[in-house]
Amino acid sequence: MRQTSTTGIIPRKYKSGSIIYFEGDKSEYIYILKNGRVILTSVKLDSGEEVKEDVRQGEFFGVKSSLGRYPREETAQVIGDTEVLIMNPSDFERLILRNVTVVLKMLRVFSNQLRRIHKIVRSVLGDESEIKPEVELFKIGEYYFKAGFFPHARYAFKRYLEYYPDQNYAKAAMERIKSIDSGQVSPEDMDSDFTAPVSSSKPAIDDDDGFSFDEPGDRSEPDDMVDFDDDAPRRRSSGDDEGLTPLSSEMDDFLSDDGTASDLDDFSLDDFADPKSSSSVTQSLTKAQALMKSGKYSDAAGALEGIIKGPAPRGEEDRKSYETAHLDLGACYMKLGKLKEALEAYTATIKKMAGTPAEKAAYFQIGTVFESANKPDKAITYFSKVMNMAPKEEINNRAMKKVRELQNR
Amino acid sequence: MMLDERFFEKFGVEYKTNEIIFCEFEPGNEFYFIVSGRVQIVKVISNREKTLDELNKGDVFGEMAILEEQPRSATAIAMEHTKLLKFHRNNFDALLEGNPQLAYKLLVIFSKRIYDAKRRLMILLLDDPQLKVMDVMIMLAEQDPKLDLQNQITLPITSQQIASWAGMVDMDVQKELTHLARLGKIDIYGDKVVVHKIGEFQRVVASKRKSMYS
Repeated sequence: MRQTSTTGIIPRKYKSGSIIYFEGDKSEYIYILKNGRVILTSVKLDSGEEVKEDVRQGEFFGVKSSLGRYPREETAQVIGDTEVLIMNPSDFERLILRNVTVVLKMLRVFSNQLRRIHKIVRSVLGDESEIKPEVELFKIGEYYFKAGFFPHARYAFKRYLEYYPDQNYAKAAMERIKSIDSGQVSPEDMDSDFTAPVSSSKPAIDDDDGFSFDEPGDRSEPDDMVDFDDDAPRRRSSGDDEGLTPLSSEMDDFLSDDGTASDLDDFSLDDFADPKSSSSVTQSLTKAQALMKSGKYSDAAGALEGIIKGPAPRGEEDRKSYETAHLDLGACYMKLGKLKEALEAYTATIKKMAGTPAEKAAYFQIGTVFESANKPDKAITYFSKVMNMAPKEEINNRAMKKVRELQNR
Repeated sequence: MMLDERFFEKFGVEYKTNEIIFCEFEPGNEFYFIVSGRVQIVKVISNREKTLDELNKGDVFGEMAILEEQPRSATAIAMEHTKLLKFHRNNFDALLEGNPQLAYKLLVIFSKRIYDAKRRLMILLLDDPQLKVMDVMIMLAEQDPKLDLQNQITLPITSQQIASWAGMVDMDVQKELTHLARLGKIDIYGDKVVVHKIGEFQRVVASKRKSMYS
């Protein structure tokens, strides 16, 4: 796993004309244009033509070379005074995983680019590379057959027959399978000067370990818990924000930005709504809650996520259910011991439900998350916040009790 | 995480030790995610099976199938009892929607692939066969961060492999290699090439590339 500093996302101001990075530079940083103007200049591979491209506000740049770990392919220059946000790949990962649509959009753009390049490569290669997969597949079978790896040989021959039953080697493939199955392979069929398979060293470029995602051990590590601070939610309406870093508010400002046109190249973090048809929110919620009651939290979480990603609620009842779904999702993750996910669910609630009772409840629950994560100081910050949020109601008292309890520990 | 039991029920496949998952040159429509076990990626080159990579839990392979149906570029073999999730190109979108982590992983892989493909295109666009051969060596040298490009380097590659990268015929590549060896720039062995000054190759190719468009 590559070592990356975990300093978080840093805002930086550039004077007009400055270069953020040059083509050929090696750097892992990823940028977001916050305000001002950034021009990317690159050279077209096939024509040598210089291409200039404007980064739109809220858009990422420097992503591919950072993630792919190769030198910058373009020069990024600032026009007019400009502010950007700078992050390392782990910050970037954390940030965009909060919004699936952005990841999917990027993935779509990247795969289109890749497809386009492959197409050019094929057209340049033209007839020179007249490799017939059909012939080659048979050859692979022959290789394994002669090497005495009969199961592998059998697999290749069988596939050959499946895909190319009418082609030239079909008969030969059938014969081979027969002789393998009968266990009677004549010695002359086998290659006497066969060389045993050798292993070459594995290429370093495939080191993807930094992005393995099945590492449950990570979840409860203290380091990870510290990262929660970066994700700390911020209340939009009131000015009472002590204990929350200015940086998180920076991010929130950014996240609330609606971005621009929904062009494929637009990587801005636009809103979460994704109109899709489904049954009514309230019905789905009832089902999810039944799952929760029977202790099937993982299933319930799946159902709730479906609701949240589903169409925006219509009508008062569905709107309420939609709010509840967010809070319930957090509760499910709490039950499953997935604190980080719980925190994310509550953070999303606060973002989307500013000024509603759900917002207050979410703050309360974040306090509970930190409490279970054994971070009493953080927990107190959030409970105190709830305590002081208008209107005074039952939840404010419960928050006050929590604060006292934690302070006396 | 979404990769729970339920998920495995739907997309899970299991392979025994030494079983082939897919074979080089067979059409590919699915990509795989390793739940447990180990997978070896191999390729038959010059009548030898070469290991290109070994993958573990959490790794993804066969991802090029997401883009379009193309023959597999290598063979995948289970090295031990291995559990995989197998996804068809057609349910790709639905799958990723619920799995931002997986989508992110693919984003990283594609970033690399785009660069590699562009880099190869740069080789193909050179018009001189000798430069193409040199540029393949440069590319391979750049891809290995362990190599010290200031010094003599050894690249584990055959003329056949160079030919496939450069879109050339093996015989022409051999001719160019022999020429370079005669000039004392490289030493050729059966399955490796020693380059004395890769920096010199880089300068030659870069200056040629610059002049191509002027």
